[in-house]
Amino acid sequence: MKISTKGRLATGIALATIGLIAAVIWWANTEVDDANRQRRQTSEITRALNDLRLVSFEYILHRTERARLQEHEVATRLDRLIADDPFRDPQAIEVLAQLREDVQATHRIFEEFLAGATPGPDPAAGPDATRLFEAQLSSRLLVLQQESLTAALRLADHSTQRIDAAQRRVVVAILLGLALIAVTTAAIGWLIGRHVLRPIARLEQATREVAAGNWNFQVNLSSRDEIGDMARNFDAMTRALREAFAEVQRKNDELAALNKEIEAFSYSVSHDLRAPLRSMDGFSLALIEDYGDKLDADALDSLNRIRAASQRMGRLIDELLGLSRVTRTELVVRSVNLSAIAREIADSLERMHPGRDVRWEISEGMTVQADKSLMHIAMQNLLENAWKFTGKTANAVIRVGIGEANGERHCFVADNGVGFDMSFADRLFGAFQRLHHESEFSGTGIGLAIVQRIFRRHEGRIWVQARPGEGATFFFSFKEPSHE
Amino acid sequence: MNDGNKVILLVEDNPDDVALTLRAFKRSHLMNPITVARDGIEALDFMFARGDFADRAALPTIVILDLKLPKLDGLGVLKAMRADPRTQFLPVVILTSSKEEQDLISGYALGANSYVRKPVDFAEFLEAVKVLGIYWLMMNEVPPQGTAP
Repeated sequence: MKISTKGRLATGIALATIGLIAAVIWWANTEVDDANRQRRQTSEITRALNDLRLVSFEYILHRTERARLQEHEVATRLDRLIADDPFRDPQAIEVLAQLREDVQATHRIFEEFLAGATPGPDPAAGPDATRLFEAQLSSRLLVLQQESLTAALRLADHSTQRIDAAQRRVVVAILLGLALIAVTTAAIGWLIGRHVLRPIARLEQATREVAAGNWNFQVNLSSRDEIGDMARNFDAMTRALREAFAEVQRKNDELAALNKEIEAFSYSVSHDLRAPLRSMDGFSLALIEDYGDKLDADALDSLNRIRAASQRMGRLIDELLGLSRVTRTELVVRSVNLSAIAREIADSLERMHPGRDVRWEISEGMTVQADKSLMHIAMQNLLENAWKFTGKTANAVIRVGIGEANGERHCFVADNGVGFDMSFADRLFGAFQRLHHESEFSGTGIGLAIVQRIFRRHEGRIWVQARPGEGATFFFSFKEPSHE
Repeated sequence: MNDGNKVILLVEDNPDDVALTLRAFKRSHLMNPITVARDGIEALDFMFARGDFADRAALPTIVILDLKLPKLDGLGVLKAMRADPRTQFLPVVILTSSKEEQDLISGYALGANSYVRKPVDFAEFLEAVKVLGIYWLMMNEVPPQGTAP
């Protein structure tokens, strides 16, 4: 059974019990009302009966007209009182009916009295006979009136009993109702403990286990209620996650294997591809050195071209290996002082090419969260490019600094060198892409591919703005708020 | 000033590289006798005077070791040398094409004394061999033969 159904059932029982108690109280209230009315009317009747007794005997004793009128008035009042039939209780109705008969009998006897008081139809009977008759009548009247009073008292007693009975029933009903509510409450408590709290504790344990990485934990609740549904969904979710993670793990293993293969490949490229180049260069030089005097200028030129080509291919291999190394090295991200790196590279460029006059404007205190060695490689490439492409510029200026655009902070490396047409910009970061002839500016065309790969590995990006003859500015930013 | 008795052991499988290295030594005016081993096993045989080299005269003064070798690679040779008291302190210069960081680390970890990368440009290679020869054959003092802790 669903928890909501159980909840509705318990609420229904409690409400029904409360309704029952209310009904009993309402019933008792009307019962008491009715009994009270019965008692009031009974006491009226009793008073009227008493009055009737007094006035009828007054008449019997004194035979005054006033007493007769009074008796008539009281009798009428009494008739009116007992004519009403306000009682519902059959016992009371029965007693009332008896009372009514008695009163009628009383009236009849009194009528006989009245008939006797006037000069009767039988004057021959003599005063003694009349007195005896009157005595008999009055004694019957007395008895009847006494009986009537007793009946009235019985009615009064009866209403008191009804009130008592009603009170008792109310108490019993309230006690029974309270007991029922107590049992229902206890049952609800037990149900919550057994079917809600315990399964929830199990679910809570499950979430903790799964959070701790135990993907094999199953809640395994069989209950057919909402929590059971939730537990089954949770188990399904854990299973799905487990499978997804197994898939990710498998893919990771595949990637690791692939990476190993690439590493082995790079290793053998690094070794085996360079060896023939060394031979070509070495033996060409041997020819030049040993037989240079026997060779003409063309032959020497050819040999020199072989050497230059070998060396160039050596550089290409080295840079390709560098590009693959950028992807393979493990990222160690920490605070890196970009200003210091830029300054160091600038100094080394100045040392290696002492003839140049370049103004460096490097902002102080540029710090980024990045891999230091990769950042060094990136800055080396960017600054070497800037250095290279300002080679034919008078008053060359290379700036390294921090800027902000569209709420995003970035670093930049700007030069006022030859620049390029922005329509080539998207080709710029591809491997072996060059925008200038090698005779103008040397290079393999891999540098910016390496730089882009470095920023991608940092989940950052690099973009460029340039104009032919006015220089180029390379911007780069990192995913995290990297500037301090 | 050149001590001609100091033997150099060159462990190198590529005949071109052997020829170029020998040429480089010659052009650097290093006249020491050079023995060439063409794989790792041959190198160890020479050092421990066994097999074809059972009657070799003396231990080399320096071993110039390539890493990529048939049968037993350079790091294996280095490991075996450092495990033997006879060759424990013998200077070993790794001369290889590899610039892989892992090779550098492994080489030094196994007790290489120097790590030199073969440049493509022979002129640079020549310079490197010259410096190597001057340092290891003329300036460096080695511990007395057979000394072991």
